[in-house]
Order: sequence, then structure tokens, then C-alpha cells
Amino acid sequence: MKRLFGQVDALLRGRLTQREDLERGEVAARAGTLMAACMVLGACYGAFMGLFAALNAGSPSVLQVLSSAVKVPLLFLLTLAVTLPSLYVFSTLAGSHLAFPQTLRLLLGGTAVTLALLASFGPITGFFTLSTDSYPFMVVLNVLFFAAGGVAGLAFIARALNHVFGPRASTSAVATATDSRAGAETPQAGAEPAPPATRPPRAPSLPGPSSRARFVFQVWVFIYAVVGAQMGWILRPFVGSPELDFVVFRTRESNFFEALARTLRTLFGGG
Amino acid sequence: MLGRVDDLLRGRGAGAPGAGPVPVALLLAILVVGGSAYGFVMGLGGGRLIQGLIGTVKVPLLLEVTTALCLPSHYVASSLLGLRADFAASLRGILASQAAMAIALLSLSPLLPVLYRSDIDYEAVTLWNGLFFLVSAAAGQAVLARHYRPLIRRNPRHRATLALWFALYVFVAIQMAWVLRPFIGKPDLEARFFRDDAWDNAYVRIARLIGRALW
Repeated sequence: MKRLFGQVDALLRGRLTQREDLERGEVAARAGTLMAACMVLGACYGAFMGLFAALNAGSPSVLQVLSSAVKVPLLFLLTLAVTLPSLYVFSTLAGSHLAFPQTLRLLLGGTAVTLALLASFGPITGFFTLSTDSYPFMVVLNVLFFAAGGVAGLAFIARALNHVFGPRASTSAVATATDSRAGAETPQAGAEPAPPATRPPRAPSLPGPSSRARFVFQVWVFIYAVVGAQMGWILRPFVGSPELDFVVFRTRESNFFEALARTLRTLFGGG
Repeated sequence: MLGRVDDLLRGRGAGAPGAGPVPVALLLAILVVGGSAYGFVMGLGGGRLIQGLIGTVKVPLLLEVTTALCLPSHYVASSLLGLRADFAASLRGILASQAAMAIALLSLSPLLPVLYRSDIDYEAVTLWNGLFFLVSAAAGQAVLARHYRPLIRRNPRHRATLALWFALYVFVAIQMAWVLRPFIGKPDLEARFFRDDAWDNAYVRIARLIGRALW
């Protein structure tokens, strides 16, 4: 466990996503470790979420704590599992030089960052759970914390992508590819310098592989957010309404955005 | 102790901004002494010793627990923004700001007996106490800003963690104060630690008031 938290710490400090590694299309973090970190951190926040149902005066349900502790990591990992294959295929088609394992590690890293921030909000969620009996308030508070965690995770991925698809990365990736194809050798010290290459004619201003791949990732971020929100709706309840008995999953009805609008109306309407 | 408090207010010695060892025990001691003294005088306003003793516990508790609840998020945000190397310096600033707030409260406490003897009603007393808390919080923020100035000069990202800290701290502190009320105690009610509806939510009340005003 200590080693796991050491890895999370290194991830948060950016030591597992160093610029030089990312420019070469490599991610130092191990997928297994990141997955374990996601599970532990998600379970930690999930337990705080489920506490509201466990402390409900009407029909307390301790099972909700366990259920949410399992479902929060599941929510993020399932969303990743659903969106990763298409991301990989389209980003590769667009010219990304990130291999599948590296893409997986990078996105797991972003998910672990999201869950680390959520876990750090856990004590605040716990405090509000103890001091309120308003279910709509708890729902809105959790949506806000999830949104903040999501923004942090996506900012982490965006920063990493800046290095992956940055100008230096494209050059080094192209150079590496050219060198490996031509079997080029590193010039020896003292060797006569090569004559300057003739400047190639300016290419028409079409988007390069890097900007296309970056665009694919940007679209993915939007899809990930929408799928994540709806996945959360499918896997509900996480907080546990005081008016309903405990169930692992609720029946399929409505969608996340409609339900959030309804909750806000209830919160402001005094329902 | 007075010398240490002076150092804290002037930003020198143990109260100076910097990355040295965080004087946690000293700052917490100042916070407890200052907060307890103000809480005692505030609670004593209704003429009940027991409410004064309750206030002795509540004011330091308000400051300490709020800080403790917000620190994990501050730690993670600092790490994410690449500011972990400065975490000790920022923690020093945060604890110093809390201690300074308690000292500011203590310095305002002699005004309370004057207010209580001025034949003003409970609501006005509550408002005055709210104002004193606001002024003391501003003093704490001034100390925090002093600690953050060199950090921001070194790395402007500290501005973001400071803003996040402030927003989260205010959000939690309002609810904490709501839960811990009464601090003064209504004169016609029995002295007690928590109100019957203590475990209620300040923001839900506000949302309902806004809802009622709008619809």
C-alpha cells in the first residue's frame, strides 16, 4: 500500500509523465499500479458518498457504503473501457505515435489524478453528510466534486498531450522514424560536418498528424465526459435517496442531465 | 508567548514566510489561546458561564477542523500543479493565517462586553460578532498573502492554489459555523453545545430562500 501511494504521489508530481518520455511516446507508469490506485482512491471516495444512506434516520443502509465503494472506481474504469478503443483507433489513424499500452497508461494516469482529487474531497463530503439531511444538496455537491476531479484529470491529460504532440515531439518522432528506416548512425566526434540541407518547399497548410491526433483527443475528452455522466446515471445510486430502499442498481429511466436539472429544481424549490 | 505573537504579526522569526520547519505546535497553541479567549467572552454575553465555556471549545474547533478538512485537497492541488516543493512554506502560511485570525479575534474581544452592556438586541450582537469574525478573517488573509507573496513571485501557479484554498475554506467554514452554532446563545434559551437542528445545512437554507424569492 505504501508503494502504491508512493506511485500516486509520483504521478501527482508529474514524475511518471516526464516531458522527455512523453516526447518519445513513452509513459513511465505501470498500468497495473495505476489501476490499483484508481480502485483504492475510488473506493475511498465511494465510501464517503455512501455514508449518507448509512446515516439516514429512516432506513439506514450500510450496504450503500460498500456498494458505492465498489461502484465509483467501476464508473471510471468502465467509462475508460468504453471510450478507449475508439480513441486509440481514431488517434492512430490521425497520426498519433502513442502505442496502445502508452495510451492506456496515460488515460489511467488521468483517471488516477481525478480519483486522487476526489479522495481528497472525501473528508469534506463526510462532513456535509454528517451535517445535512438534504438529498438534493448531497447530489449537487457530489456532482460539483466529480466535475472538479474531472477537470483536474483532463488537465493532466491535456498537459501530457502537449508534450506528446508538441513541436519537439513531432520532430523527434519523425527523426526517429527516418533514422530507423535509413539505418542512420550518430555522427562521430570530429567528423566533418554535413552540408546544410536545402530547405524543403513549404508544404500546403494542411493540419499535420500531431494537430489531427490532438483534435481526436479533444473530441474524446467531450465524449468521455458525456459517457462518464451517463455511466454514472446507469450505475446509480451512489448517495442513496432516503425515500427509497437500498438497491445495487436502479431501474433504467431518464438520463443524467435531466435528473440533475430536476435535482436543482428540488433544491431551490424546497422539495 | 507575547514575543512569538509579535513575531507572527510582523512576519519575522517563527512567523516569517519561508520554507523552514513549520512551527505547528506554536501556531496551534496561539490559535487555541486566541480562539478560546474570544469564544469565552462571546459566549458569556448572555450572562451564562456555561455558554462561555462552550464558546471556549467551539471557536478553536471551528478554525482547526475547517483547516483539517481542506488540507488534503490543498495537498493534492499543490502536487498536481508542481508546487509540492513549496508545500511546507504554504502550510506555514495557512497555519500562521489561522493563528493570526485567532489573535485578531482576541484583540477584538474587549469590545464585546461594551457591546453587551449597550442594550442592543440579540440579532445586533450576532451581527457585530459576524463583523468581528469577518475583520479577523481579513487579518488572517493578510498574513496568508504575506506568506504567499514570495511563493507567487517564484511560481505564479501558487495564485491558483491560494484561490482554491480560499474558496474551499470559506465553503466549509460557513457550514462548520452553522453546525457549531449557537456561539452566543439566545438569552431566552437554555445554554447548550448544539442546537436541536444543528445537523442542518446552511446552503440548503440559502437555496430555499433564493428559490422562494425567485418563484
